[in-house]
Amino acid sequence: MPMGHTATAQADSGGLTATEHRLANGLRVVLSEDHLTPVAAVCLWYDVGSRHEVKGRTGLAHLFEHLMFQGSAQVKGNGHFELVQGAGGSLNGTTSFERTNYFETMPAHQLELALWLEADRMGSLLAALDEESMENQRDVVKNERRQRYDNVPYGTAFEKLTALAYPEGHPYHHTPIGSMADLDAATLEDARAFFRTYYAPNNAVLSVVGDIDPEQTLAWIEKYFGSIPSHDGKPVPRDGTLPEVIGEQLREVVEEDVPARALMAAYRLPEDGTRACDAADLALTVLGGGESSRLYNRLVRRDRTAVAAGFGLLRLAGAPSLGWLDVKTSGDVEVPVIEAAVDEELARFAEEGPTAEEMERAQAQLEREWLDRLGTVAGRADELCRYAVLFGDPQLALTAVQRVLEVTAEEVQEVAKARLRPDNRAVLVYEPTAADAAESTDENEEAAK
Amino acid sequence: MTELASMEFHPQPQAGEPKPWAFPAPERGSLDNGLTVLRCHRPGQQVVAVEVLLDAPLDAEPAGLDGVATIMARAFSEGTDKHSAEEFAAELERCGATLDAHADHPGVRLSLEVPVSRLAKALGLVADALRAPAFADSEIERLVRNRLDEIPHELANPSRRAAKELSKELFPADSRMSRPRQGTEETVAAIDSGAVRAFYEKHVRPATATAVVVGDLTGVDLDALLGDTLGTWTGSAAEPRPVPPVSADDTGRVVIVDRPGAVQTQLLIGRTGADRHDGVWPAQVLGTYCLGGTLTSRLDRVLREEKGYTYGVRAFGQVLRSAPDGTGAAMLAISGSVDTPNTGPALQDLWTVLRTLAAEGLTDAERDVAVQNLVGVAPLKYETAAAVASTLADQVEQYLPDDYQAALYRRLAATGTVEATAAVVNAFPVDRLVTVLVGDAAQIKEPVEALGIGEVTVVAAE
Repeated sequence: MPMGHTATAQADSGGLTATEHRLANGLRVVLSEDHLTPVAAVCLWYDVGSRHEVKGRTGLAHLFEHLMFQGSAQVKGNGHFELVQGAGGSLNGTTSFERTNYFETMPAHQLELALWLEADRMGSLLAALDEESMENQRDVVKNERRQRYDNVPYGTAFEKLTALAYPEGHPYHHTPIGSMADLDAATLEDARAFFRTYYAPNNAVLSVVGDIDPEQTLAWIEKYFGSIPSHDGKPVPRDGTLPEVIGEQLREVVEEDVPARALMAAYRLPEDGTRACDAADLALTVLGGGESSRLYNRLVRRDRTAVAAGFGLLRLAGAPSLGWLDVKTSGDVEVPVIEAAVDEELARFAEEGPTAEEMERAQAQLEREWLDRLGTVAGRADELCRYAVLFGDPQLALTAVQRVLEVTAEEVQEVAKARLRPDNRAVLVYEPTAADAAESTDENEEAAK
Repeated sequence: MTELASMEFHPQPQAGEPKPWAFPAPERGSLDNGLTVLRCHRPGQQVVAVEVLLDAPLDAEPAGLDGVATIMARAFSEGTDKHSAEEFAAELERCGATLDAHADHPGVRLSLEVPVSRLAKALGLVADALRAPAFADSEIERLVRNRLDEIPHELANPSRRAAKELSKELFPADSRMSRPRQGTEETVAAIDSGAVRAFYEKHVRPATATAVVVGDLTGVDLDALLGDTLGTWTGSAAEPRPVPPVSADDTGRVVIVDRPGAVQTQLLIGRTGADRHDGVWPAQVLGTYCLGGTLTSRLDRVLREEKGYTYGVRAFGQVLRSAPDGTGAAMLAISGSVDTPNTGPALQDLWTVLRTLAAEGLTDAERDVAVQNLVGVAPLKYETAAAVASTLADQVEQYLPDDYQAALYRRLAATGTVEATAAVVNAFPVDRLVTVLVGDAAQIKEPVEALGIGEVTVVAAE
């Protein structure tokens, strides 16, 4: 039976509330009312991502996500897309290291349809899954890989950095898109086994946000999802724990047909969900977020050695997060010049910490990003699922911005000092080659398939 | 079938009662300095969106200085009479704001997004930028160099490269539209602070500008706030600028931009056609959606979901310039990437889809689903202040009435299958499409020539 949880706004939640419920089969449900616009967002997170894949089957979680749109017992072919779009809704699914999410944003009066569709595939995908869908979506995903990664300059940089930063055999060593060879090797039976292992109500969180009647919504959820059996087939995921620092500087030089030299690096940072991760976010923002950051001011404005320079944070809960540096050089500037300047700025920052004004700027930027994310029903639904799946408490989504604002300059300096060090990074250097050399490289890759 | 046995199935539910929703109507007014202001209160939207449109179109750029509008747009956030470039960026970010500026054919646009609690301060900074930009020699020099550094990155990107080639093919060489919006290496290198200031003085003034402000304005005295900020910007009056007509050569032909070793071919197939001032626009939107608006549209049903040649191919119409006298135009195009070995078969299928559409027309069911989607998604699409502000700004830029979008939804709902078919068939005639392929010429030229879709020429990527 569904269990209620009171919907009283917590302090510092911006007036947003959410209630939590659990069906008898283990499906966790989070509801949040907002009647400003007649829309409702449905979001379903399955606790499975590329970190659950095994050697030789990289890319399976994402390929499987595509198969979830190929029909189920009561939904024919592309019916999921057709019905949602025909109802004036929008939808998609995405796969990351740690989860797979599926979402529909509907006009409020079409909410029930989205719940029915999600339940049908959660409970009966294998009734429709066949060899034809498998072969077709394998080709589609391989073309996705070509379009987003293989056919664009620097397109495989993230894949290369990840492989450097997480050691061979680590669950995060490979990225969700997977390798061409593994996509070719995946079988229909692999997909079936994946579904039977990971797609169960007790391995998912469903959130519904927007112009909803919570009681009615919960009744629909019970009606459509309630009879889907749970199971305990999911194996314990491989441990992603790693030492806090890498202990040496890892390095790879890539010679490719790219338009300019580039310096990229991945720093091992604290896990998502910790105060230290928020402090790291602020440190990276001060150093490399926006056009008033230290690295932008140094490399782009003053030294004029870079065309773009910035830091990004990939938050991860089951392994160290990644701080991702990306600098594209200007003109003929050589990488060591950039690298020396980056090291100098990071060392200075670790030494002196952020100024009060830098803290104010970084916190204001992260606050706006949070307001943006929580400003749409779909964004809110996704964040509620994220905190429920990764940290066991959806309410944390509503107070996340407050936690970022509470971090002190000392904490930011501390994390920078401990983590933003040359012996805690994997470095990727791009050196452009002539176009004819690149051609032969590509041919070798083709031959290797 | 054990999977089927365990779950209780229910019939597909019926929709509930739709709740009314209408595209928001803005309130129009002007400040004493002549600045036009559109405002729109959107409850709950804590991040306010402000768009400022300047009547500084690309065709106003002096000969040989393509890109000066872009450099000027970027230079607005590089210092004022009160702040240096670094200080200006810092002050903006201290508000939690983002400010983007870009130049396009109809004019220059500044887009500000900021939490409502810091709107006053951020608007003050934007007003400073418009009223008294520094345009310091060293900052302009840096922006020029930075822009020059960006060009090779754009040329290496298959979709950007394809767009550049299509513009060059479609439009006459003396038309600004034939050349890159942000200039070429040669023209950008010729830009200095003097050129930027001259362009600013000639084309930027409040009397020909419009500001659009959208967000939760509860408790905000917007009149006072605007008076203290954008209201302090002064400038002379100006005559309305004539909009030059758009002409294009859509003789069916193929241009391959050679990228040896490319694992995919980027395709961009286009021509120009009716814009929003033409009565056919709603039918064209509807028909184009049926052709290639989503993965269940005709193109992807074959190219993606049947053949697996692509991650997705889309058909779209995008206004280039619009004018009430009907001289404007939209780019009508089909774009996507297909794997190199299947380039010929994919194009063959694509042409078959177009020919079948012309021969047999759309079905009523296709039309109905398209209307339900295009009209039904409106409340989702316009949830944020930024989305509303952007559409209101487009309307102003295209000389459309403020209630255009609201009326468009009613017109879409009233458009029939026959009209939608005629519009999309006219928009994409099989013998009047310019096809640009960015890919490995050695592998794709012969199969493409065999299709008979026009003369094939090959050009180098750089």
